[in-house]
Amino acid sequence: MAKPNRESREKILAKLRSRELVNCFQCIKCTSGCTALKLLELKPHEVEKLVNLGFVDELASSDIIWTCVTCLKCVQRCPQKASPYHVIMALRNLAVEREVKVPEAYMKAVSQVLESGLAEACQKVTTKKMKTFDRESLKLPKLASPKESFQAVFLKALEEREA
Amino acid sequence: MKTAVFWGCRILTSQYAYELSVREVLPRLGVELVDLPEAVCCGDPVKSVNDFAATYLGVRVLALAGATGLTDLLVPCNRCHFVISEARKVVEKDERFRQKIVGLLKEEGLEYRSDVKVWHVIDLLHDHVGLDGVKGAVVKPLKGLKLASHVGCQLVRYSDLGRVDDAESPRKLDELVGALGVESVDYAEKLDCCGSALMYSHVDSALSLAGGKLKALQNLSVDGLVVSCPDCALIFDAKQKEAASTVGVKLNVPVVYYTQLLGLALGVGQEKLGLHLNQSTVDLLVSKVLC
Repeated sequence: MAKPNRESREKILAKLRSRELVNCFQCIKCTSGCTALKLLELKPHEVEKLVNLGFVDELASSDIIWTCVTCLKCVQRCPQKASPYHVIMALRNLAVEREVKVPEAYMKAVSQVLESGLAEACQKVTTKKMKTFDRESLKLPKLASPKESFQAVFLKALEEREA
Repeated sequence: MKTAVFWGCRILTSQYAYELSVREVLPRLGVELVDLPEAVCCGDPVKSVNDFAATYLGVRVLALAGATGLTDLLVPCNRCHFVISEARKVVEKDERFRQKIVGLLKEEGLEYRSDVKVWHVIDLLHDHVGLDGVKGAVVKPLKGLKLASHVGCQLVRYSDLGRVDDAESPRKLDELVGALGVESVDYAEKLDCCGSALMYSHVDSALSLAGGKLKALQNLSVDGLVVSCPDCALIFDAKQKEAASTVGVKLNVPVVYYTQLLGLALGVGQEKLGLHLNQSTVDLLVSKVLC
């Protein structure tokens, strides 16, 4: 049976840089308004409870933390400022640190930022009349690359671990 | 007014209609745009991976804006607007965090700027240009159109950050739509999320959130949907066919950016507004007003 891990719980609290999570009194306002509840069964109040009880390791390796659609309704509506959205983001960061299941698209976006400054590469778009356009043919300005220092300093920022 | 503008990734790499229409309409209303010296990410997808690095990117945008000598920064993307606003709040509140970030900025020869005001297209038009300013510039009122507005989650939440409009009852976009002579309808699903953030991890769920909202709108018989965020536009417009297949109906909802709609009312040509780039059936909407 899963055992609570107080150390992992402290890690999440440190990442949140505040301890309001412990004030969650399970009013379930977050879950009743959660965009991801109906489709993906995300129950933010349960995430809050589980972290408070110390079941952080289980959450960090679960797919459930990647179902949040970041609509921010739970942050807005939480009467205790125990923001499930921020708890979920802290759990995602922990999952990345532990190199457990992380949706590939996120890692791809980060390496793209590192490489080019932007999270995506420029695309050609095809209209309904099957004409293809890009920035140049639309007479949009050329994109300016980030300064040379960017890559090294962003890498440094990525290596920074909170707590 | 002269403002720096930060476009973010999605607008610069695929949502060209938004960029074209913003560049076209704002100068006509007395807003001069100055591009930042770099095209970089605001930190949004990085937030899930490493919050510190994401905050660095967000604060870095403010530093780049400050370096232009301007104190106003237009951020037309909802997600970028949220990420930059939250990054600023974090460094304002947390001294230790701020010191670390200021140090990294220094290594790049950049300076932390707390005095840069961040705008979105919606509040820039509503609060700075003003509804009367917008109305006064209209040469072709778009009478007879009935449209639904979708303001997008990250522009209005969460209020502690200071957002562009009220979190539970946003009105500014509707009022701007109304200023063009269009009827803006209220509907039950108005605050429902577009789902686009799930495109990173749960594509089908993302599409069915968008599809569900579009289906509800189609049942209301509106002439189209007005958006003001490149992510919302991507899923409602470019992915509309795919979204339709997840909800089992044929969807035909024209989706336009507010700046495209405004451009039509200002008498700007369709191609200049990038209307040929929209993937939804915008011609249905356009033909109702331009005949």
